[in-house]
Amino acid sequence: MEFHDDFPMYEFRDQHGEAEGKVQRKRLWRVFWYMLLITIFELGLGYYAATKGVDKIYLMVIFISLTILKAYFIVYSFMHLGHEVKPMKWIIIGPYTAFILYLVFMCTVTEGTYAKAHRISPPDTKYETPKEGASESAEAPKEKEAEHK
Amino acid sequence: MSDHESSAEYPAHWGGGVSPLKVSYGKLFMWFFLISDALTFSAFLSAYGFMRHKFAGEWPIPSEVFHHFPFVHKELPLAYVGFMTFVLIMSSVTMVLAVEAGHRKNRKQVLTWMFLTIIGGFTFVGSQAWEWFHFITGTEAGHYKDLIIDGVLMKHQLVHGANLTYNEYGNSLFGAFFFFITGFHGFHVFSGVLINITIFIMVYRGIMDKRGHYEMVEKVGLYWHFVDLVWVFVFTFFYLL
Repeated sequence: MEFHDDFPMYEFRDQHGEAEGKVQRKRLWRVFWYMLLITIFELGLGYYAATKGVDKIYLMVIFISLTILKAYFIVYSFMHLGHEVKPMKWIIIGPYTAFILYLVFMCTVTEGTYAKAHRISPPDTKYETPKEGASESAEAPKEKEAEHK
Repeated sequence: MSDHESSAEYPAHWGGGVSPLKVSYGKLFMWFFLISDALTFSAFLSAYGFMRHKFAGEWPIPSEVFHHFPFVHKELPLAYVGFMTFVLIMSSVTMVLAVEAGHRKNRKQVLTWMFLTIIGGFTFVGSQAWEWFHFITGTEAGHYKDLIIDGVLMKHQLVHGANLTYNEYGNSLFGAFFFFITGFHGFHVFSGVLINITIFIMVYRGIMDKRGHYEMVEKVGLYWHFVDLVWVFVFTFFYLL
């Protein structure tokens, strides 16, 4: 055996014939259409929200849950994790989920609340569009200086 | 390896030759690498969310920043990034079809699907370069902003486009996060394309047939799907929300 670097470890149960391949291909294409529909829906909603305006909290809930749904499709079907044995699934998903929950908790609840309550507004954050003309843009800094005084 | 003779001589899980997770060494460690990489991207995105929450008032609205589309002189919010997402999902599907063809040891189909994946990857990287170009160049009119450059406050400066120090769209951190997150992801796509090309050449030369299996295609497929997975999250948190 000339090439034996990873040969003894490979599971040949993954290999299959033509009939099984046809079934799998059909399943994969179905997942693709689901994901495409979700993406189109997300873009439509994003466009609608940009033009009409939708409450931010609804957008966040819808977008994040749809993203997690898409991530589930990719990991379960494309990355084949759904067809691995149960310990393998837990080894991949478990530690990552624990860490991510901790990170989200830290960013939104503890540190995020503190940072928002104690922030100092930096001076480079206010800006005006020059569309209104020179007089408008010349007035703006005076107003700001007045605010400082 | 797991023939009956050896399992009779040794206790099943201690004698070696048995994989309790029923997954090969290479695939397992590709998964471990992907988890560590996913943690890096999670750190990026949660830092982004943290800063965005902190500077909620002056953070730019992404659909007002990313509204360019090639050859169209009209504002199409998020259309181009939608196209990029479609390209990446499509290339992910071609990759998984290459893996499926590898399970059937169909060399010709593996080559076809991998070729399409490489094309999709290059399209995505090119699109991202185009998007960076427009982000850096900015609008023609520009915006007036107060800047701090080398510790000196300069009021009411006309700013075009973006760099790591400041940008015309809003808070200066927005530009920095854009460059780092999409840049880091784009670098992953680029290296994924290079690995895909390597495996394509290996398949073309018939190395996989000599080994008797197409596991390398499966491993690079895992990496490629991961890149797609990250983009799904970047797309949501950076462009949609």
